Amino acid sequence: LTTETTTTSAPRRAPADDGRARAGGRTGVTTAVLLATAPTDGHGVAAGQAWDDHTIVRRLVDQLADIGVPSVHVITRTGWEDQLRRAVEGAAASVQVHASDAISSDLQLIADAARESDGGLVVAYGDIVTHREALAGLLADPRVASGVLAVGVRRPFTYRLRTSRGRIVSAASPYHLVRRPTGTFLGVLKVSPNDRAALAGIADDLERLTEPGVPGAWAAELDRKLGNVRVRLATAALEEDGEEPRDTLEDAGPPEPAEPVALDPSTIVLSPELEEEAAFRAAVAREDVVTLVFVGLVRSGAPLATTHVRKLFWARPLSSEAVAGAAERITHYDEEKVLLDSAVKATDGFFTTFFVSPYSKYIARFAARLGLTPNVVTTISVLIGCLAAAAFATGERWGLVTGAVLVHLAFVTDCVDGQLARYTRTFTKLGAWLDSVFDRTKEYVVFAGLALGATQMGDDVWVLAAAALTLQTVRHSFDFSYAAAQHEVIGATPQAPVEEPDDVPGGARIKQISAEAHAAAAAPQAPAAPAPPQPLPRRILGLWRSLDRLAFMPWLKRMIAFPIGERFAVIAITAALWGPRTTFTVLLVWGGVALAYTLAGRLLRSIGR
Amino acid sequence: MSAQATTLPAPREQRTTLEVYRDDGPSARALGALLGRVLPLPPLVLLVLGALPAAIAIATQGDDTSAGTTAGLVAWFVLCAAISSGRPNEGSLRWAVPPLLRASEYGGLVWIATVAGDAVPGAFALLCAIAFRHYDLVYRGRHRGVTSPAWLDQVALGWDGRLLVACALLLADLLPAGFFVLAAIFAVVFVTETVAGWAAFSRAQRVGPTEAYDDEEDEA
Repeated sequence: LTTETTTTSAPRRAPADDGRARAGGRTGVTTAVLLATAPTDGHGVAAGQAWDDHTIVRRLVDQLADIGVPSVHVITRTGWEDQLRRAVEGAAASVQVHASDAISSDLQLIADAARESDGGLVVAYGDIVTHREALAGLLADPRVASGVLAVGVRRPFTYRLRTSRGRIVSAASPYHLVRRPTGTFLGVLKVSPNDRAALAGIADDLERLTEPGVPGAWAAELDRKLGNVRVRLATAALEEDGEEPRDTLEDAGPPEPAEPVALDPSTIVLSPELEEEAAFRAAVAREDVVTLVFVGLVRSGAPLATTHVRKLFWARPLSSEAVAGAAERITHYDEEKVLLDSAVKATDGFFTTFFVSPYSKYIARFAARLGLTPNVVTTISVLIGCLAAAAFATGERWGLVTGAVLVHLAFVTDCVDGQLARYTRTFTKLGAWLDSVFDRTKEYVVFAGLALGATQMGDDVWVLAAAALTLQTVRHSFDFSYAAAQHEVIGATPQAPVEEPDDVPGGARIKQISAEAHAAAAAPQAPAAPAPPQPLPRRILGLWRSLDRLAFMPWLKRMIAFPIGERFAVIAITAALWGPRTTFTVLLVWGGVALAYTLAGRLLRSIGR
Repeated sequence: MSAQATTLPAPREQRTTLEVYRDDGPSARALGALLGRVLPLPPLVLLVLGALPAAIAIATQGDDTSAGTTAGLVAWFVLCAAISSGRPNEGSLRWAVPPLLRASEYGGLVWIATVAGDAVPGAFALLCAIAFRHYDLVYRGRHRGVTSPAWLDQVALGWDGRLLVACALLLADLLPAGFFVLAAIFAVVFVTETVAGWAAFSRAQRVGPTEAYDDEEDEA
């Protein structure tokens, strides 16, 4: 075990002044460990490749320093340390360069860094190119205690992960397999101060496990993945489109028994260039300890969340060609615009997405320039909501119309506060609480205003108002309780030990599936075994999900569930055009349909399990 | 809050999130502890059994039901649902219990208000105060990682206590004034406690960051 350390210190740069709050000091992350161990396909270290006036790793260190991470460890392979020391010279953080011989030594350095750190920790590839805001989105979000940067689609030289109800339940590495992946790990892992000790322990365990060389089961899993790479390279070459396969090393999950691989990886003959390509991917995979630490944390049951890069730029360029491509693509990004677009929540409903967000994001940017905080905007929103209720309470036609306009304004400001928080990265727990509570307050105050107004008009709708309040509260209660039950299920699901490649405890299935796949490959004419019949609830759900292929169906499904945007729109439109009785009637009918719809889905999922 | 927590009986500390969401009051817990072992029925069955007679009365007679019958049927629901607090809530549909308790309580209060006459605005005010507590039970857990302190659970009376008090107010002919008074008291207590809790939390956060896994927002 050889480690050698040198320290480069540099004065902190003055923070940039672009109107957005600097995250410095608020992230709780005090140490970053960057793994600069991946080779380039030329010769040397990928992280040391030139980027602008400096290097890729230098850019990353400066970005982390700018976000408020004062101390950075860069781990590289013996022989590359001088190149890396030059690469990080003059960086804005205090940088220590460590030279290590093997992944077990890398793991020990990570364990040491975790123990020495006095705050949160970031473990990341040293060779990624991304926007500062993508990193800030993970590091400066207090709602993500421990988590990773992620994206839905596959990317080169990355591994997949699976989340369930916002929590990462499985992760892949060169040696680990994830079933039914839902996203891709982008090589940045944030560990909260509370999980730091766990991280150190996990790195210790992994070090012991890999010190004599990786376990046999792990090696077999890597061989399987590399075999899939060979198959894909060969298939792509056969198709003669000349296009380089853009898949990740990992994305070939275990071959399904029903779809036998047509080619046996061990007998494929590749051209010298493709052979070189396959060897390069294997070399990169063997250096990967970031995913190992990540898998270790997931398998230990640590709660990890994901932060999506959304539309921001991310790349892991491991060749001069890839660097040139990334440099070309990143110039086409208007970071400001992308950031503003990314401030819009991805899961908003139809009305919010098409009738509010297109302009509310500009209001959010304007509020940011005025220096308003999200909590101030939230408070303004609830005040407008109270004004709307007062207007409704007059019971006059002008009052109903004014109230409708104010209800819409209140809803727009409500969207602005969240977008402002995402845009300026000023998330607080109090802000999240205020936002939730004030949303409910606004809605029910408006109900009271409408009922008072109806009384003025000689119509008693208090029972309808109380029914609407009850229905909405019960619908939310179903959401909360169902989520809590789901979390119980997730929490009670045992994780496979990190020694096992498969994410299903027991690990027997992978061997079985591989064996079946190989048998199928050996005898392609053999009919595939029929899949066991699914229970009826699962079939209904599958059919319902398959409707999502129609472009409008996902929107329609969100609309049926009667989300907040649709509710506020219904209140504004029906109150202005007709009156309180119509408003409550529509709220009750649509809300009732929504309750029946979500309840049906949950009942099917619960009994189909 | 921590001083309170140390004096709590042991079972409270082991409450699951779904048990917290039930919002049982002292009377429900006492009845559940007493009769939960005697009646081995699942909570969902107990809830349906308790709500059925009242539902039939509402469907057939609505607000023409006499005050005595109304109070009797509500008390029957409280008895059945209270026993469910002492029963293990297992099975794949266990998530349906807290929302059904909520629907029964809110619906029961509105029914009592209609039986009393023009007490529905009062009931609406009371529902707003209770809804604040019910949302806060969830949001304080998500954003602050805490549950409601024991004294607050006592003062809030639980769904059981509130329904019984509403019955008493109906029988004593104290509606709608009783609802407004109750709503005002609850509103002051619930909001004050939460604001104080957040103030303490913010002070503590400035000293050192508290880290808790944050739920995704499930509701829209």
